[in-house]
Amino acid sequence: MNAILTLRILGALLVFLAAALLLPIPFSFYYRDGAALSFLLAAAVSLAVGATLLLNCRSDREFSVREGFAVVTFGWLFYALFGALPFVFSGAIPSYLNAVFETMSGFTTTGSTILTRIEGLPQSILLWRALTHWLGGMGIIVLSLAILPMLGVGGMQLFKAEVPGPTADRLKPRIQDTAKLLWGVYVLLTAVETVLLMAGGMTFFDALCHSFATLATGGFSTRNTSVAAYDSAYIDYVITVFMFLAGVNFSLHYYALRGRIREYWRNEEFVFYLLVTFGATALLVFFNHGTVYTSLADNLRFSAFQSTSILTTTGFGTADYETWPVIAQYLLVFLMFIGGCAGSTGGGMKVARILLLFKHAQVQIYRLIHPRAVRLVKLGATPVDREVMQAILGFFALYMGVFVVASFLMAATGMDLVSSGGAVIATLSNIGPGLGTVGPADNFAHVPAFGKGVLILCMLLGRLELFTVLVLIFPSFWRR
Amino acid sequence: MKVLIIGAGQVGYFLCERLSIEGHEVTLVDRNQEQLRRAQDRLNVLGICGNGASAETMEQAGIQGTDIFIAVTDLDEVNILACLLAREYGVKTRVARVKSIEYSGGGARLSKEKLGIDLLINPDDAVAEEMVKIAGRSGTFDVAEFVEGQIQFLGYRIAEGSPLCDLTLRELGEIRGMYRFVVTAIGRGGKTIIPRGDDVIQAGDSIFICAHQKDLPAIQYLLKLEEEEKRKRPRVFILGGGRIGLRIAAELERQRFDVRLVERDEARCEKLSAKLKRSMVIHAEGTDISTLVDEGVEGADVFIAVTGSDETNILCGLLAKQHGARRSLILVNKPELLNLAPTLGIDACISPRLAAAGAILLHVRRGEILSLATIEGSNAEVLEILIKKESGILGTPLRELRFPVGAIIGAIVRGDSYEIPTGESALQQGDRVVVFALSGALGRVERFFE
Repeated sequence: MNAILTLRILGALLVFLAAALLLPIPFSFYYRDGAALSFLLAAAVSLAVGATLLLNCRSDREFSVREGFAVVTFGWLFYALFGALPFVFSGAIPSYLNAVFETMSGFTTTGSTILTRIEGLPQSILLWRALTHWLGGMGIIVLSLAILPMLGVGGMQLFKAEVPGPTADRLKPRIQDTAKLLWGVYVLLTAVETVLLMAGGMTFFDALCHSFATLATGGFSTRNTSVAAYDSAYIDYVITVFMFLAGVNFSLHYYALRGRIREYWRNEEFVFYLLVTFGATALLVFFNHGTVYTSLADNLRFSAFQSTSILTTTGFGTADYETWPVIAQYLLVFLMFIGGCAGSTGGGMKVARILLLFKHAQVQIYRLIHPRAVRLVKLGATPVDREVMQAILGFFALYMGVFVVASFLMAATGMDLVSSGGAVIATLSNIGPGLGTVGPADNFAHVPAFGKGVLILCMLLGRLELFTVLVLIFPSFWRR
Repeated sequence: MKVLIIGAGQVGYFLCERLSIEGHEVTLVDRNQEQLRRAQDRLNVLGICGNGASAETMEQAGIQGTDIFIAVTDLDEVNILACLLAREYGVKTRVARVKSIEYSGGGARLSKEKLGIDLLINPDDAVAEEMVKIAGRSGTFDVAEFVEGQIQFLGYRIAEGSPLCDLTLRELGEIRGMYRFVVTAIGRGGKTIIPRGDDVIQAGDSIFICAHQKDLPAIQYLLKLEEEEKRKRPRVFILGGGRIGLRIAAELERQRFDVRLVERDEARCEKLSAKLKRSMVIHAEGTDISTLVDEGVEGADVFIAVTGSDETNILCGLLAKQHGARRSLILVNKPELLNLAPTLGIDACISPRLAAAGAILLHVRRGEILSLATIEGSNAEVLEILIKKESGILGTPLRELRFPVGAIIGAIVRGDSYEIPTGESALQQGDRVVVFALSGALGRVERFFE
């Protein structure tokens, strides 16, 4: 691993972050919230460190696979560390650890918060929270590299390391062009949602922040009670639909915008995702009928919102699902593991992986009945490579392993069983609210410092899908 | 007519044989002196040694004034290039054998029009198509369709104990009131007979009948072919996952057959499994009968063997029948084996060269002949002919006309109705007749209808 080259690229990424940190400043002036100076200061620190690294670390070594892993992992870590500065400088979150937790939760589109009171914070700070979601949702490293082509790195490696799912689609031969197209779709959908939310009575500022959080499947709201604060069926349904869209592979949206709507139905993962969404909603309506909600309209509205929010790993709330029947909660926990589609902004294990695991099991059973039959696992009409299938099996085992170990560590801090497990899956799958003392009506402020550290790591592991981060643990990775 | 054939392989040889018997002037071009000598010794053709795609060889072979140009070498590129050359020499009809789907598929960028070819023929596809047709029609070993599928030409094998056994055609004629069909030919011991009233159908014969589509269920009933209840999804075993096997599997799968494809190469199995949707792909040798029995060959309705080896196909076809498969269809390349297999108990043998040659013959003779099929294991053909105004035979009962020996009319279609031909039948303008003819009689049949 070439540390010099890695540091140089990390420097460039920090310069990019400095530019991003300037974005909330106009809002700060407009709302006169007095936080402009904190952003300026944070940008200056970021720029100074970034420029130092960029100018002093020079290497003519080739950029390889190993540097790719290191750049992506440390890039996300650096973004969380430096992105946390405005929270500290403005006094919104005095503790640096809490600020890093909040920022990591933002960039990884988790949406878990340590804030007890959200209303009343400076608007520019609220915008920065939403912006971290939005930048992290579509993959910030690739975005940075697409915008900073002078580094000459833009390998498939980085793209693969950052795009969720077992395989990454390429829309164009050049990664930068692919990234630009996907970002274009992302911007367009965000703009449409903002307009639709404003039509429902939201202010431009709230609409923008919520759209950022929806399309990134993040979950930070500008209100203490999340989306429930607006108490509008229209807003609930608009957000439900856009959460669903954000959980779909963005390549499919791109094809649809180019007039190839049929690509949705040809994509087996999408069809399965649709079935899971509708199936889960129908079950929730059934479980909640007569017990929690008496009116069917209310039942449908809240059940659909909660199931979509959890499945896509957004984490917005309009109802406290901890008051729902246990079986309904169990169903939601199940959805927490699944997550969105590959190539979406959602977290979790991804629909494609779950689908392929089922198919793999089916083929195994089939082989027992017909020992000489040759049958491949297929997604749509294309067979899945054996290596990809093995990677998925490994991923599943690791995901469960990380879940168990992290829950154990959380329990060691003194949290109860349900809350430990809930906190870990909420962060590992990048959802936001968990269960128990970190449920949708609570927050993460009371978690001990060690626990917060574990959860920060979980968020990073979940967002970068384990392997990218875990390779750094192996000593052989660091050897030449 | 003057015919120039490039490529003295199996298809080329067969075409030479057919066309020269019919009295055409055939020149054969090939690079292989040995192959040429074989053809020249046995057939009435002129052989020229040289590269089929070179202008020099072509002029030597007398390309000027040639009416029909047929390129059937093993190389697609040579065939295509030769046809382009032939176009420059002003040859009217150009036919090429092309194996690669890149040229012959529906979405081909280089269409046959652009390549200057009238007919692109792919022997593998022709075989696959034929196999699928026979597999779909229970009890038959040969199927051809005429007049947009209204008239079916079917070959049946007469087994011991068949209700038709030991009946003369006259006796059959008495039940024809119920079962409307014509026995156009009987195949017996490698010979094809055009039967007369007192000929007797014997066990072991193959009979070729001509009937209307809507009378088929009654005929199947007569032949006791529908005794066993028909399955919703007939089970088909295919041995050999090459190009032909894959095409058959894909097509039968589309027609909702329960397809099980057996292939011995594991890597190929994976490719097949990737390309097929519902078929079961089994990694096994064709002779590994215990595996095939485990996978249900006993209940198979059809067993199709299309490996590259004739011997394997015949052996496995027989093995499968012994283990309970109801019918065996096999691919046979060697002409010598083509007539042997039926006597062993194989239900149908398809030869790629016959299938390809049939399609080529139909094309080069089109005109009055609307449709044509070559008959497996015999030198006979079935033609569909449109009766024209200029024809001298309009309105006269057939009895009074001198219909050529070695040929028989199987059906007469007039608009929406159709007629079983008898001595009293008289042809009218616009009728379409289906005629069975031995190849020696083809010329006379064509002249008869002119």
